[in-house]
Amino acid sequence: MSLKKLGLAALLFLLLVSPVKAESATVSDISKQLICQCGCTLLLSNCTHIECPVGVPMKALIEQKLDQGQSEEQIIQLFVAQYGEVVLASPPKRGFNLAAWVSPFAAIAAGGVAIYFALKKWVKRGKRYQTKDVTKSKEEDKEYQRQLEKDLKEFDEGGFR
Amino acid sequence: MADIGYIALILALVASIYSAIAFVFGTRRGDARLVASAKNSLLAVCGLVSVSVAILVYALVTHDFQIEYVASYTSSDLSLPYLLSALWAGNSGSLLFWAWLLSIFAVVVVLQKRDIGKELVPYASAIIMGTAAFFFALLLFVSNPFQKLAFVPAEGMGLNPLLENPGMLFHPPFLLAGYVGFTIPFAFAIAALFARKFGDEWIITIRRWTLVAWLFLGIGNLLGAWWAYAELGWGGYWAWDPVESASFMPWLVATAFLHSIMMQRRRGIFKKWNMVLIILTFSLTIFGTFLTRSGVLSSVHTFAASPLLGYSFLAFIGVVLFGSLGLLYLRSTELKGEAEMESLVSRESTFLLNNLLIVGAAFAIFLGTVFPLISEAVRGVKISVGAPFFDQVNGPIFLAVILLTGICTLIGWRRASTKNLVRNFLWPGVAAIGLGVALFILGIREWFALIAFPVFGFVLFTIFSEWFRGTRARCRMRGENYLKAFWGLIRANKPRYGGYIVHIGIVIFAIGVGGSSFYSVEKEVTLRLGDSMTIKNYTLTYESIDSYETESKTVVTTTLSAYNQGKFIGKLIPEKYFHRTYEQPVTEVAIRSTLLEDLYVILIGWDADGTTAFKVLVNPLVMWLWIGGGVVVLGGVIAFWPDRRRLPSPRQTKARREEK
Repeated sequence: MSLKKLGLAALLFLLLVSPVKAESATVSDISKQLICQCGCTLLLSNCTHIECPVGVPMKALIEQKLDQGQSEEQIIQLFVAQYGEVVLASPPKRGFNLAAWVSPFAAIAAGGVAIYFALKKWVKRGKRYQTKDVTKSKEEDKEYQRQLEKDLKEFDEGGFR
Repeated sequence: MADIGYIALILALVASIYSAIAFVFGTRRGDARLVASAKNSLLAVCGLVSVSVAILVYALVTHDFQIEYVASYTSSDLSLPYLLSALWAGNSGSLLFWAWLLSIFAVVVVLQKRDIGKELVPYASAIIMGTAAFFFALLLFVSNPFQKLAFVPAEGMGLNPLLENPGMLFHPPFLLAGYVGFTIPFAFAIAALFARKFGDEWIITIRRWTLVAWLFLGIGNLLGAWWAYAELGWGGYWAWDPVESASFMPWLVATAFLHSIMMQRRRGIFKKWNMVLIILTFSLTIFGTFLTRSGVLSSVHTFAASPLLGYSFLAFIGVVLFGSLGLLYLRSTELKGEAEMESLVSRESTFLLNNLLIVGAAFAIFLGTVFPLISEAVRGVKISVGAPFFDQVNGPIFLAVILLTGICTLIGWRRASTKNLVRNFLWPGVAAIGLGVALFILGIREWFALIAFPVFGFVLFTIFSEWFRGTRARCRMRGENYLKAFWGLIRANKPRYGGYIVHIGIVIFAIGVGGSSFYSVEKEVTLRLGDSMTIKNYTLTYESIDSYETESKTVVTTTLSAYNQGKFIGKLIPEKYFHRTYEQPVTEVAIRSTLLEDLYVILIGWDADGTTAFKVLVNPLVMWLWIGGGVVVLGGVIAFWPDRRRLPSPRQTKARREEK
């Protein structure tokens, strides 16, 4: 299979599996993106307070606005306008908040680069030692060879010890 | 009585400070008598705290309500197990419990028979005693469990009803034992720095201590998840609450540590990195305690907030971090490892990547946990960082970690040749792709699931095939049958095969997480008596509502008949408890678990006209979380299990006799 075909197949696959928003948002979908403001610190969908004085009206409002035909985004913005950003279950991916979203991956990428260069350095050092081999008589060689193989085998198969 | 408990704590503080100082000076000067006296006072510390604990427990059991702690967390109608559990229900009690565990661990450290690392024990004991002294000071001056009230109340306030669950008996002590356990490896790391013993002695000495602490913390978290699922009644098991995150972070960093010490053992590298990891692990355990006690972040776990206690912990973290990292810096030139590698692609490299990713995940969780504070400081805007953030950021990282556990198994130590790689990766790769295609045909379209589940399959396949190859080789070489050969394989190298079993457990766990987070279905319904509702292939019929009184609460109970595709499968009884001493009602969910999925019913509320609101969830594969957790624990125990102490061989004994 040529690379082009492979790429095409991959694209087709991605198209097939990419999530399709078939049905419109439900109260439960939206309440998973908001934090209940009653002080329980849980997602609105998870607040277990019976007749929660804050959570129940919040959910009722979502239902009402959905019935009025408002979109998910509109409803969420309505809550942000009322309570501030703190009502969102996760910070929106823009502005300063990007620091939270991006820096874990940036840190891992930076660490990956550092590891790559460290490994390269170590491999180079390892090779330098390997080339410093001293030629020995064949007899001795065999004996060392056996010992080396034994040690390496132990090393490979041993655990922490 | 309470006074004796308090006096015992004062003596324990004095003895622990003396012990710490005497250990250091005795060892420096080579004064064996001073070291022996330090050791004795360490034993005395344990005895004294035990007296304190015994007195508090006695006060709890005998309902001595004049002691504020007893009055705040118990009542006379509480059953014995929960009376005992009240020891860790409140701030000062749990700190006393912490100090007690620490002193017991310290005794084990000094009494343990060891061949390696003997010279580290005095310094390590000094560090442990120093830490213990900090806790004694807190107990005496900030949060006194023996504080008396000016009057004797007729009745106590009782235990928070949410805590009246079997989970309460096990979740906190396991978690705390894990937290406390990490003090030991930390102490030995600092001891190694002090004593300039930069070799492998300290990691050999603490590997199993770390494993135990890691296991305890893991079990504690698992029990917490189960408790949340069965008792808190919001339908899930992990909410990324700041305190959950706080107990997850040290566990993650300790996981990285357990892997990276293998590298030091094998290649003599990572000496500094291992120090950093264990210092971080220990600091994170204190950070978790700081979060629960200070109330800086709002969380379901918060104890009665005590700013002074919070600041004390913050100061302690500062001392620990600056002190130990400073010491590490001073010793850094002597700690240089002469690293060399044969190849870029080797099992060693996968360990490096594993460390990077796991620490990266811990960093992401830390950042998410403290980001509300950062945001408020920088922008002045309050924000929340909740489950969606952690799921989205950590999902891919953890998936990569799991993938690595599979790849790691396939790559040999030192060097991997292309031929080897192709041979090793061929069948697991084919199996994974096959699984992906099968899932696709079965109608699964979520791209993350289509990546995740094949990855899980890949890892399981690699580990099982590695086992199979090892077993077959043993069979051929020794002529044993398969079962015996398999058992022999595991016994011959417990750390390694225990580790593999842990990996299998993690994958099983991940399957549970994947299933329950992608395919959970929920419905909120309002039913009248006799009404039915359907969710997936289940039908629930609302049969009855009733209420009855017990000694401490009013119970509202409802019954629903559950049918699976028309077949009756049982009755579900979700309830609500209204405790007399506690404002919020407590939800008792009804769960029907199978290997495939859980049917989970929450009673939300009812009206006078007989309509009742329920929330019904179908959570797929949740059972596998608990099974996976069990497998992880099994693997951890196997990895921990000691080899028989090797008796000196006859030749050695003979040689020794001749020397004499």
